[in-house]
Amino acid sequence: MRRILIIDDEDDIREVAALSLESVAGWQVLTAASGADGIRTAQAERPDAILMDVMMPAMDGPTTFREMQRSPDIAHIPVLLLTAKVQGVDQRRFAGLGVAGVLFKPFDPLTLAEQMANALGWRDDG
Amino acid sequence: MSASTGNPGEVARQLIAALWERSVPLICERLEELDRASNDAVHGSLSPAARASAAETAHKLAGSLGMFGYPRGTELARDLEQVLEAKGAIDAITLCQLVASLRASLPL
Repeated sequence: MRRILIIDDEDDIREVAALSLESVAGWQVLTAASGADGIRTAQAERPDAILMDVMMPAMDGPTTFREMQRSPDIAHIPVLLLTAKVQGVDQRRFAGLGVAGVLFKPFDPLTLAEQMANALGWRDDG
Repeated sequence: MSASTGNPGEVARQLIAALWERSVPLICERLEELDRASNDAVHGSLSPAARASAAETAHKLAGSLGMFGYPRGTELARDLEQVLEAKGAIDAITLCQLVASLRASLPL
């Protein structure tokens, strides 16, 4: 079973994404409400992938990703950024960070797992 | 929270509908902040900090409303974010119209 860590400071986004991945794809979901908590959870739980919001207070998504890259035990975990920014310049900036992919808010809860699987090249998933 | 048994998509739909109900107070709070910002803009008293905060709130709404099945709400919230983030004097009339349209687009 896939294990996914969702990092987002907004409760409603975290909850909808979690229940979407759990109920539609049957994946196991871990959650964190901040970048710092997300790094700790990733180090402790070693998920198969991380879905992380871009705009978070204190430590935003790109900063959190760069911190993760400095930690050898979790640097290999693929990270998908989640953003409500729709402008091309933002998209290119995020893609240039070296993340596995960028997904957009609002996501469709019924196809979020499929989008993630496609972005991650998980051919055996929805 | 519970959902009747069924296919995974239907279960997810039911759970998301329940989460929407739980999120309504937060959505209303965010709309109230946008109401205050548009009123202040009309009266020429919208501070830079309040404008930035309202832009962030519009951004959050843009990111969540479509997820709950309200894509028109996301479009209007994105328009609001752009108006609030635009350089220079704010277009208070457009801001008021967008906030009213956003509120009307949601089943609150």
